[in-house]
Amino acid sequence: MPEPRRAEVSGAGGSAAGQHAAESGLDLKPSGRVHVPSSLEDGLPTGASVGNAFVDDPVFSCRDVSVFYGDKEAVRSVTLDIGQRQVLAAIGPSGCGKSTFLRCLNRMNDTIPGARVTGTITLDGQDVYDRRRDVAQLRARIGMVFQRPNPFPKSIYENVAYGPRIHKLTRSRADLDELVCTSLQRAGLWSEVKDRLNTLATGLSGGQQQRLCIARSLAVQPEVILMDEPCSALDPIATAHIEDLIDELRASLAIVIVTHSMQQAARVSERTAYFHMGRLIEIGDTDDVFTNPQHRLTEDYITGRFG
Amino acid sequence: MKFKVWLGVVAGVLPAALVAIVLFLAVYSWPAIHFNGPGFVVRDVWNLGNLYANPVTVHGVQIQPGASYGILFLIVGTLLSTLIALLLAVPVGVGAAIFLAEAVPDHLRMWISFFVELLMAIPSVVFGLWGYVVVIPFLSRHLFPFLALTIGRVIPFFAGPTGSGYGLLTAGVVLALMIVPIIAATLRDALVNQPASMREAALALGATRFEAMWRVTLPGARKTLIGATFLALGRALGETMAVLMVSGNALNYLPRNVYDPISTMAAFIVSQLDSALQDPTGLAVRSLAEIALVLSIISIIVNAAARLILVVWGNVQRSMAV
Repeated sequence: MPEPRRAEVSGAGGSAAGQHAAESGLDLKPSGRVHVPSSLEDGLPTGASVGNAFVDDPVFSCRDVSVFYGDKEAVRSVTLDIGQRQVLAAIGPSGCGKSTFLRCLNRMNDTIPGARVTGTITLDGQDVYDRRRDVAQLRARIGMVFQRPNPFPKSIYENVAYGPRIHKLTRSRADLDELVCTSLQRAGLWSEVKDRLNTLATGLSGGQQQRLCIARSLAVQPEVILMDEPCSALDPIATAHIEDLIDELRASLAIVIVTHSMQQAARVSERTAYFHMGRLIEIGDTDDVFTNPQHRLTEDYITGRFG
Repeated sequence: MKFKVWLGVVAGVLPAALVAIVLFLAVYSWPAIHFNGPGFVVRDVWNLGNLYANPVTVHGVQIQPGASYGILFLIVGTLLSTLIALLLAVPVGVGAAIFLAEAVPDHLRMWISFFVELLMAIPSVVFGLWGYVVVIPFLSRHLFPFLALTIGRVIPFFAGPTGSGYGLLTAGVVLALMIVPIIAATLRDALVNQPASMREAALALGATRFEAMWRVTLPGARKTLIGATFLALGRALGETMAVLMVSGNALNYLPRNVYDPISTMAAFIVSQLDSALQDPTGLAVRSLAEIALVLSIISIIVNAAARLILVVWGNVQRSMAV
């Protein structure tokens, strides 16, 4: 039985009871019996997870990140790195905090009254939550794709041109045309829409709308794209399109994808993080997490005992 | 069945009332319409004639000698004061709505919105009195001379003399204040109810809150803005008492600049009813009724146009989406 590697960082809230539970024997290898978790008790000290949370040269480094909505702690002491040009999948049952965690990375939680984030998140070594930071500029470096496709009720062209326009990325109309074209090409949508760039984006199919939203993010030339269950409203063919697209995009940027589908996580990601009730339980190479999970909760989730 | 009949009666009363009012006005003012002819709306002299002479018969209608009824100056006064009110009220109303929707925390928004809406509850005569006591002295002493020296140099219609303070611009300002809450309250609701996903999409692309509001949320609510503007337009066209108290109540006079006294159709009906009743032939009152008819028709056209615009735009958007 290999000893799990724990994250070095231990949260301030690491309780004696938690430590004790950790030492007195984690049931890391599943016994085969059906286990239905009934409490938050995961046997880990606060802030620790099994697997390898760290990478060399990360884009994002999260240390001891907790998110509160008022008094409720939605994410507790998450520590992990997100690597360059790498796809990280965040999986876990509903309400486990994976979407909340994702929204911390580009400070979208700022828009929710009462939301509070503690711990540190750095993007390329710079503190994301620095008071002096221009949040709009930060978000421009981080693309985001939402659960439901949300194109603006404008033309296809104007949707993609929105970001470049507000950030004044292009000097001339020809440059903008070029950028819109390459963004649509990168999103694999160009051949389908090149003849109707001036029609309303809301007339596209759901899958096309979602790829348009990805093109819209790409037009701002982000370093990372956050995807919050991007395929949950799409049919299998549209989902396959998006997954192919993720596979192409990983060559040029990092992607964090929250998904309910374990198959999807297994197909698209290099690393997988398993969240459970606001805590990061296990993180590691996707192959390892799915074939050889080290924590009982991960095992139970991926084998479909709950979730 | 009985219930349905009663509902039908209740629902039918309102359209019937509209038709009845317009019909009554048309029938009652028929002798005036016949005597005044289509020139009624292009002549700019309102003259009751010699009330001490014996009535004479012209075109089969009894009139006082010299009587002539034209309301061009009223139409001009009504349209110009309404236009000024809209030009002032739409930007202010949109700004207030954006402020309420975006900058005010939820728990305060309810209270501030409440006070904005209370502004709608103030009787118009109170606005009139306030305009009379506060707005007119301020505008005539401070703002009008300034405007005449600045904008007046560029746009002749704003050049002096700045007059007494009773006039077109004052009426426009007071009217604007009365219709700002209509625009602000209606648009605020529409902004708050815009789908959050559009705003999120803009923010995630690195838009500032203002950019998200100006280029995504506000365009999403533009139908409501147009509807609210027409609602405000209807209110401004028909506003009587406040305008009567601050407009200078001009008779037979077309404004030469923005400070000149005017009168509007609604205000004129009130201010002239007493003297019109002195006309023994009754034609003066019937001519006032003809003004009321014209005003009603303009208001109905404005409202119908508003609805038509919304319907047509709605269809355009839907057909484009297919």
